[in-house]
Amino acid sequence: MSRAWEVFARQSYEEPLHHVGAVREDDEELALVSARSIYDEQPWIEMIIVPRDEVREAISA
Amino acid sequence: MGDYKLTLVSQVSYVEADIEQLAQRTEDEVREHLAAGKLVEGLEHMSPEYLRGIRRILTVSADTEWVSAPSYLRAAQHAPALNNFGSAMSIIQDELAHAHIAFRLLGDCGVDMDWLMYERPAEEFKYPYAFDVPLNSWVELVCANALYDQAGFVLLSDIHQSSTFGPWKRALKKVDKEETFHLRHGRTWIKKLVAEPEGKAEVQAAVDWMFILTLEWFGLPDTRKRHGIQLEYGFKGKTNDELRQDWMRAVVPFMEEVGIQVPAHLDEDTDTYVIDCPFPARFDPEKREWDLSVGPVSWDEVLDRWKGRGEMNSVYVRTMQRGYQEAHVG
Ligand SMILES: [Fe+2]
Ligand SMILES: [Fe+2]
Repeated sequence: MSRAWEVFARQSYEEPLHHVGAVREDDEELALVSARSIYDEQPWIEMIIVPRDEVREAISA
Repeated sequence: MGDYKLTLVSQVSYVEADIEQLAQRTEDEVREHLAAGKLVEGLEHMSPEYLRGIRRILTVSADTEWVSAPSYLRAAQHAPALNNFGSAMSIIQDELAHAHIAFRLLGDCGVDMDWLMYERPAEEFKYPYAFDVPLNSWVELVCANALYDQAGFVLLSDIHQSSTFGPWKRALKKVDKEETFHLRHGRTWIKKLVAEPEGKAEVQAAVDWMFILTLEWFGLPDTRKRHGIQLEYGFKGKTNDELRQDWMRAVVPFMEEVGIQVPAHLDEDTDTYVIDCPFPARFDPEKREWDLSVGPVSWDEVLDRWKGRGEMNSVYVRTMQRGYQEAHVG
């Protein structure tokens, strides 16, 4: 199955980035396009993606 | 085509075989986790039963959102003006985003998303029978917004409140907000339509067949269906009959307010809604009419109709899978 990327975004300079969802693409460029087009419901000022397998847990839920 | 069949068989067995591998907690560990007030955040917190259950309910939700897109799209072609078509398109786009949420969570639960969306045979989709019946006009589309999206809203609000699966619970906040917009779209249009006798008659005709179909949407009555694990593991919070009540509580007063007749009323003594027609009932899909003269039928007859699916099942699934199939299967 394709690589998973977590998507974070924010709508204003006052707020921090928060988790809005995830996309699955093997290719980084495609993952960026997917994130922008799937999560276009708000006028974001910033959006980033992070490969899920690069995330390290300091405290587990 | 031969290769395509082979892929299907292997994917199905892949889906079943890996459950014990993926979900390694015991049932007792899951119960303890939930009793401590924690949410299930991923496979690392799941037992085989939990994984099977969450996959089942996510699939129904994903399929329902997904099939509403081609159904609404077909009806939107009858939009009276371009800006109305635009509103319908934005609703359809929301539905696809809702479907994406549930499908990507199924992906996180170890199911092959491409198989689920693009390779699965039409008859294996698990959405309510109502979507097997076509919506043929703009009036029927806005009535679907008022009735079907209300059903979706009732079911998803319950999951939003009660689900023990954290990623889904959190994602539903946005979905609830958007469903509110869909049903407001339906209600605003119905109010506008009933102002003219002709429009009112069209709304009444649509509601006549759609109301009972949506009552069915909530499934078997509590006397016939055991919810045990669904409630215990918190896949949902309310029983089928409670959810059916919630839906009537939202829909019936609105229909009364706009002068559209529906076969249900509030019993004030018990504060519950009572269905005033034979239910479950016999449906003629060709005429899109209920044959209420035969009285209530058995749930087995209804289950047979659901299993047989309806004319739009294969049409909608083909619409949604065509691009992928042409690219991958040839
Ligand atoms: Fe939806
Ligand atoms: Fe909706």
